[in-house]
Amino acid sequence: MATRLSPLNVAAFLSRPLSVLPLAPLQPLLAAALMVMRRQHPAVFERLDELGDPLFVIDPIDLPFIFAMRPAGARPSILACREVNTDIATAIIHGPLPMLIDLLEGRLDGDALFFSRELTVGGDTEAVLVLRNAVDSDEIDLFEDFLAILGLLAGPLRFAAEFKNAVTTDWNAAR
Amino acid sequence: MNKSLATKKLELVCPAGTPASLRAAVDAGADTVYLGFRDETNARNFPGLNFSRKELADGVAYAHDHNAKVLVAINTFPKAGNPESWHDAVRDAEAVDADAVILADIGLLAYTAEHHPELRRHLSVQASASNTEAIRFYAREFDVKRVVLPRVLTVEEIAALNADVPVETEVFVFGGLCVMAEGRCSLSSYVTGQSPNMNGVCSPASHVHYEEIDGQLVSKLGDFTINSFGEDEAAGYPTLCKGRFSVEGSVSYLFEDPTSLNAITMLDALMKAGVTALKIEGRQRGRAYVTQVVSAFRKAVDAASRGEALPDLDMSLLTEGGQETTGAYQKTWR
Repeated sequence: MATRLSPLNVAAFLSRPLSVLPLAPLQPLLAAALMVMRRQHPAVFERLDELGDPLFVIDPIDLPFIFAMRPAGARPSILACREVNTDIATAIIHGPLPMLIDLLEGRLDGDALFFSRELTVGGDTEAVLVLRNAVDSDEIDLFEDFLAILGLLAGPLRFAAEFKNAVTTDWNAAR
Repeated sequence: MNKSLATKKLELVCPAGTPASLRAAVDAGADTVYLGFRDETNARNFPGLNFSRKELADGVAYAHDHNAKVLVAINTFPKAGNPESWHDAVRDAEAVDADAVILADIGLLAYTAEHHPELRRHLSVQASASNTEAIRFYAREFDVKRVVLPRVLTVEEIAALNADVPVETEVFVFGGLCVMAEGRCSLSSYVTGQSPNMNGVCSPASHVHYEEIDGQLVSKLGDFTINSFGEDEAAGYPTLCKGRFSVEGSVSYLFEDPTSLNAITMLDALMKAGVTALKIEGRQRGRAYVTQVVSAFRKAVDAASRGEALPDLDMSLLTEGGQETTGAYQKTWR
């Protein structure tokens, strides 16, 4: 399946300029993405409740920044940061961004990525396991969640994406 | 009278640790899905995993709408003097119309046979019933309809058993490989105080720690270093039975290498041995694993039932340590 538009893909696309530009414009997008995900997938976040208020550091190794995420607790948040004090992190997850997205959307198996050493984890292993099982418990689709942010703009964007996918598929089939 | 699960060809019994995995298994062609409640009544009581009562009810409805069955694993051993959680699990499984329960404890089998006689009973691998007398005992005393056989038998031994027992048998064909006498292993309990048999967890994540040291991935369980993987070496689970230890100056895997069972090439032999159902291990794995493995075995089982050659199906990327084995089915133990 082709990778589709989402706040994380936007971040990946902008990774070079973002290495020198401020991250501030990214923060409201990420906050909105987290808010929508909580609304669309409440069961995922209910599974995280047993952790209390963990701080996950997600390190996409192909981006010039990291994500500091508090997905549970009373005030969930996600921030793009240049660096974070890992001593206060509950757990750290390292891997290439496309792989992390595939993991989030259930196209890759976390254990298999761990066996092959493409995914590395540190800190509280139990917290990582809860996070993995929670995001895997529902069919997360970042593109659809992203569309949910856009309200009335969602329709045209979905049409454009489907048109682009159809053209790409036909083009690939003709090659 | 118990419901019959009889099918003409090998029944594909698939794991689900979450509602999304259940849907993935059914959509990929599972005949049957097995799962557990979100507590210590089942042997995959991992954090963040398993089903609430409502999720189970929804999952059973989804499976039944797609002509698939649901088995509820209640296969840990109730605590002395405190069996209520296990009794509740049996009652709730029947209430949502589960097709059978998978039990291991003799007391829970007796309770279920007495109080829920209409609920079909399967014997869990955790009961470790591996001979004719044991299986006949469970069938006679508790009207068990199916036995999940331990992963220690050869195909010839399975064929001999099937010729001599009055129940269906189910065998593992893919996934994590328990090399110990199942239901009787104390390695996890020795290190962490928790075991699959009593708590539903083997080498619980709360006791696992990973460190990168000089390019090596070091896995620890409690105070024990289980393994140290080189930079380009595939990793495995941090269980004592798959640990690599230094003994008298020599470093090696003492019990078993990190490896997964894969008996996909043996479906014809298992069918001829009289097996009724094939079990895929991995309720703790992600839905991507479920989709890929179930899809592959669906094709393989269908091909075997038609007498056709096995399609080319590579699942090596999903295996522990990047290795696979046919285990005891073709014994080549050290």
